[in-house]
Amino acid sequence: MSCALALAAGQAWAQEAGTFRYAEQVKLITMDPQQQSGSGVPFLRPVYESLFEKGPDGENVPLLATGYEVDGLDVTITLREGVSFSNGEAFNAEAAAANINRGIKLDVIEGLRTVESAEAANEYTLRIKLKEPDPAIINSLCYTGGMMIAPAALDDPAVDRNPVGTGPYVYNASESREGEVRVYTPNPTYWDKDKIGLARYEVWEIPDDTARLNSLRTGQIDAGNWLSNAQAAIIDRAPDLELIRHNGGLNYHVIISDREGTVVPAFADPLVRKAMALAIDRDAFNQAIQFGLAVKSFQPYGQGDWAYDPSLEGVYEYDLDKARELMAQSGFPEGFTFDMPSIPIYQSRLEALAGFFQEIGITMNIVPLEPGTLARRSRTTDFPATNLVWNTITDPKFVALRYIYEDAAYNPFKAKPSDELLALAEEGLNSVESEERAPAYKKMAAQLADEAFLIFVTNAPILFGVSEKTANNPSVVYRYGEDSINLRGLVAND
Amino acid sequence: MNPSSASHIRPVPRRFRWRLNATSVITVTTVSVLVLLALLAIFADWLAPYNPLQQNLIKALQGPSAQHWLGTDDLGRDVLSRLIYGCRIAIIAAAEATAIAIILGVPLGLFIGYKGGWWDWVVMRMVEAIVSIPGIMVAIVIIALLGPGLHRAMIALGILFSTSFLRLARGVVLAEREEVYVRSARVVGAPDSRILLRHILPNIAPPLIVQVTLTVGAVLLAEAGLSFIGLGVQPPNASWGTMLNTAAAYMDLNWFLAIPPGLAIIVTVLSVNLLGDVIRDSIGRGIAVGPRSETATASTDTDVPAAGAAANPLPPREDEVLRVEGLRVVVGEGAGVPVITDLSFGISRGETMGLVGESGSGKTMTGLAILGLMSAGLRTTQGSIVLNGKDLRTLSRRQIEQVRGNEVAMVFQDPTTSLNPAFTVGSQIAEVLRTRQGLSQKQAWARVVELIDRVGIPRPEERARAYPHELSGGMAQRIAIARALSCNPSLLIADEPTTALDVTVQQEILDLFRDLQDEFGMAILFVTHDLAVAADICDRISVMYAGEMVETAEVGALFASPRHPYTRGLLSAMPHASDRNPPLPTIRGNVPRPGSWPTGCRFSNRCDFRIAACEARVPLTGTDRLVRCIRADELQLERAS
Amino acid sequence: MFRLIAHRLLALVPLLLIVSVLTFSFTSLLPSDPVDLILGDTGTQEQHEMLRERLGLNEPVVVRYFQWLGRAAQGDLGTSFFNSVSVTSAVMQRLPVTLSLTFVSALIAIIVGVAAGIAAALRPRSWVDRFATLGATIGQAIPNFWFGLILVAVFAVSLRWFPATGFTPISTSPWEWLRSVTLPSIALGLSSSAAIARQVRSAMVGVLQQDYIRAARAQGLSTRRVIFRHALTNAMIPVVAVLSFQITVLLGGALIVEQVFAINGLGTLAITAVRQQDIPMLQGLVLVMVALVVVVQLATDVIYGLLNPKARPS
Repeated sequence: MSCALALAAGQAWAQEAGTFRYAEQVKLITMDPQQQSGSGVPFLRPVYESLFEKGPDGENVPLLATGYEVDGLDVTITLREGVSFSNGEAFNAEAAAANINRGIKLDVIEGLRTVESAEAANEYTLRIKLKEPDPAIINSLCYTGGMMIAPAALDDPAVDRNPVGTGPYVYNASESREGEVRVYTPNPTYWDKDKIGLARYEVWEIPDDTARLNSLRTGQIDAGNWLSNAQAAIIDRAPDLELIRHNGGLNYHVIISDREGTVVPAFADPLVRKAMALAIDRDAFNQAIQFGLAVKSFQPYGQGDWAYDPSLEGVYEYDLDKARELMAQSGFPEGFTFDMPSIPIYQSRLEALAGFFQEIGITMNIVPLEPGTLARRSRTTDFPATNLVWNTITDPKFVALRYIYEDAAYNPFKAKPSDELLALAEEGLNSVESEERAPAYKKMAAQLADEAFLIFVTNAPILFGVSEKTANNPSVVYRYGEDSINLRGLVAND
Repeated sequence: MNPSSASHIRPVPRRFRWRLNATSVITVTTVSVLVLLALLAIFADWLAPYNPLQQNLIKALQGPSAQHWLGTDDLGRDVLSRLIYGCRIAIIAAAEATAIAIILGVPLGLFIGYKGGWWDWVVMRMVEAIVSIPGIMVAIVIIALLGPGLHRAMIALGILFSTSFLRLARGVVLAEREEVYVRSARVVGAPDSRILLRHILPNIAPPLIVQVTLTVGAVLLAEAGLSFIGLGVQPPNASWGTMLNTAAAYMDLNWFLAIPPGLAIIVTVLSVNLLGDVIRDSIGRGIAVGPRSETATASTDTDVPAAGAAANPLPPREDEVLRVEGLRVVVGEGAGVPVITDLSFGISRGETMGLVGESGSGKTMTGLAILGLMSAGLRTTQGSIVLNGKDLRTLSRRQIEQVRGNEVAMVFQDPTTSLNPAFTVGSQIAEVLRTRQGLSQKQAWARVVELIDRVGIPRPEERARAYPHELSGGMAQRIAIARALSCNPSLLIADEPTTALDVTVQQEILDLFRDLQDEFGMAILFVTHDLAVAADICDRISVMYAGEMVETAEVGALFASPRHPYTRGLLSAMPHASDRNPPLPTIRGNVPRPGSWPTGCRFSNRCDFRIAACEARVPLTGTDRLVRCIRADELQLERAS
Repeated sequence: MFRLIAHRLLALVPLLLIVSVLTFSFTSLLPSDPVDLILGDTGTQEQHEMLRERLGLNEPVVVRYFQWLGRAAQGDLGTSFFNSVSVTSAVMQRLPVTLSLTFVSALIAIIVGVAAGIAAALRPRSWVDRFATLGATIGQAIPNFWFGLILVAVFAVSLRWFPATGFTPISTSPWEWLRSVTLPSIALGLSSSAAIARQVRSAMVGVLQQDYIRAARAQGLSTRRVIFRHALTNAMIPVVAVLSFQITVLLGGALIVEQVFAINGLGTLAITAVRQQDIPMLQGLVLVMVALVVVVQLATDVIYGLLNPKARPS
């Protein structure tokens, strides 16, 4: 039945539409946006729309909402009328409130941690109550936190493979193949039909970088995302392919979780942490591991972000002599050993870092983890240190939420933050205006550099590898700071 | 003594030596490779030019150079050094998994083999279950339990391969348990465990060694595969499999990365496998391949065609179907070693000539030589084989295929092996009729039934649809005869056609030959070692010894007065009853092998009448009856007196 | 023949039972608690208990086994621990992929192996024989995934004759299907064709020395007829016995070769399942593979019976 429907739908648009194929580098874990902990958004965007989205310059633009008002801890959002979910249910404030409340309860989405509850004020007005002032609440609603699931699907235990949203496309389970490709076909009840330009959208799950590259070369896919690695460099050099360096960046950093020295006493010594930061040859790292596609990084933000502080550039420029000197001055001149968790895509990065640390007498054992478990294991006391990436367009308040506060997600040893950091983190929340918040965060970045429990290594742009035709397709719009293409208005190549 | 004795002839010395050389070359090469591997593994710390984990990011992914002979990998680590350290992992992996497999498999196999019953049943069902899952999947499931890593993966492989050791040990126990000495040991009162150890372990050693080589090769490949998919050795440690894993990611930038570890795996596995083959062959063959034959006589013999035969060809017989003249068959390249020399005889239409002699005398090969069907390595070098006026030696392959079946056919010793087990007997006769005589399927089948009926098989329709293994020996031989006669040949070569049959059946078959000869009128060359049979069916008999004819005579004359000492020996050795087995007791020794024939009279070393003159070649003499003995007349008189 | 098939199918039942008991008891030895694996350490105690209940982990192993067996008998192999995907449908979706590889590689292995084996056997110790024997020996030493890498580098990346990665279902396009399975199947079939060639050669050499070959030639049958009809039919009997083992090997090899070509078959599923310790998925995979192997054995038994009249029940 669903198959026949899909076929009929496909034919209706087939004449002018066609197919667009996108390849995603991470494996799909779940299609439930509220269970989703970061990567894999391209699988969700065709089906789910968020209340807001990012405009071309990063501004918040209403999508399923039409406007908002923030008044202290009260956020009032007006919703778009005449929108329905693809299963026929109406989209209204009640549905939206149910979504937000489920997200709070599941407690996976960081952006909803500041939300107390949500309720429907009237049919198209949603009221959100905050626990604490949150200048980034609307920002959070641009991503998974704002994605709206059909009420009937909220209780479906199989919602992870059976997504129902308001988006321009619906998930076609019968033509999708688990672990291989997700097929999306037009949503016949979509509220903005003009924006449906494809008969079929496919997201291929190709975690192997070489395989994804070969698929792009042979035209099996039109576009895909890449980390800064050898295959991205090959795309950059290939005459018939193009590597798109998109805004937003992946900041790769090492986190000293055990900074009070519970397991590894040396980590309590700031001299040791500084020596580690100085021992990393970021230029060589960028050249060899990231093929020159990244830039050195000494703070959580990248050039062009509003919280970025240019004066911090080079604060831990590679200086082996100085690093050795600091080690000698520290309480651990003989060096020490610690374990570092690894997943395959970070393997070569960590092998390189291990080589650098070895030079100052520190032995870093690489402990392989199953892919998809690094973030989770990093939140446990299993490892005294870890390594992660962070998107530089994320609101700076999350730096504190993740790493600084005593109950921060990646502070498993419950290390007490310094008073300075705590004060700066609070100060950053006092306004909703970026310009007013920026000075506090710049100071916070400097303080972080000084305490050196976060060792920033490189910043790489979000990278898309696309075919020549895709590069010349004017309807291909990359979502601001995100590794996905905006599907509203996307038409096929040619 | 059997028709395939030709193929039992030992390979010629020269080839034989080459083979030995090839084997030793393989052994030396593979052992050197494996020793080198072991040395590299042991002395990796000294031999490797760099630390295998020492990275140099600036020099990543470089091709071979003076500093880095095999280039560098993605982190600028020296590929050669990693390869050398990879030897260590390979050896550890192979040793670990094989040891685990043996330690798990052999005792358990011995145990269940000895205990039998319930234990055996349960364990074997489990083994069957494991074996029915693809090996790599078994390893993957075990790794799911243990987690990835070199040692854990090797435990997984050890468990997997233990099943083959278990089955091997169990098989040996089951076989040995029945052996007499185990039983006798038990009677003496040795405890069970000691019986196992003392008697069974030595017998298990040879197959165990072979199984170890098989396992080592398989482990190396499996380890590489598991490491390649990330479930075996974990980076940054260098194993050949993980190096290939890295190489796979950088194929586009530096394909050379895949070459050194790939070749290392191939060369190692190849060496292990080849060494295993050598061990298997030598164990299977019982080490020694057979005594070296003396080559000295080979050359001295080529010459001296016994003056009599070559110079005075035998006068043609009346209505001759076949005439063989001065035939010489050799084995091997070049001049070769003679197997049959100076053979001449003729057979007339309707006549049955017997070719008699011990095993190895060359009688069977004579039959095969006429058909041009000698085993590889054997060939005729001199003489002619004229059948119905055509010299078969001059014919092309196609032409001789035309002659076979149509003009000359053959019946072999063992009817159960000379009929193809895969087809019904009727279809095998019909095939000849269809391909040789162009009959239709239907016509051929009708003729088949007719023929089967003719050779005296009841219910021919039904029997035609039987497979050879469903027929008794005598019945199968009748079928073989029917097939041979299907195209009405003028010469039938019967090679010991009754030897494999029961005595009662023998007579029936001989009667059948006689009847058929009366009806079809073909000439028969009847090869047999059994003088009683020959006396029964033959008109004339030729006695062969060591590749040459020593005496020919009408059957009555031969039996009445044998003139060659060998013939005489044969006759006096004729069994009185139907006992086929005992050797000829009055002739000491055996027929000498080709290549080690005495230079003069070939029978001289077994002959009681040998004199000095026997050292020279002896011609075949006489007119009516021929004999190859210089003392024939003398002995004749002596005997008469 | 019917009795043979029926007998084999009956034997399948206890085998599958034993395999399922083995895998079930084996996986229940897993050191980690599946609930911890799934939830990580973020879940609340309440969530842990709910999940425990939903997965039926509070029941004793034996009860769980029989519950699972009851559903498996109806074709329901359970649900993955990590998403709501049914194991049956996940396995069935990948099955055609792995079967395609196994089938095509078996075909290649048989054709190449039989041809090389015959060529070698017809002229023992000739250069053809030495070349084939050497090739077979080396072929058995080459890791299939390495050969796959080389094939990709040469025929896909450089020459662009074949796609480097991926799989096209035969229903989408038979031609593209063939293109997508060619390289992986060659990589996969190499060592089996080597093994088959060795087997054919030794069987053929043995058969060619048999009396019935000489007898057939003595009847004047043409060389070709003797070799291809009389000799090959008999030489294939031991080869067929080896073939069923080789197909099991190919099925296992496919799991690794799939990774080289980034093909989503049972191998990828198995490796993901191992990494996540997704027990229901692993159980289902093992069971389906055993069933496949048994079907292959059945097929080879039937062929064996057709070739060898002695093996037929009379």
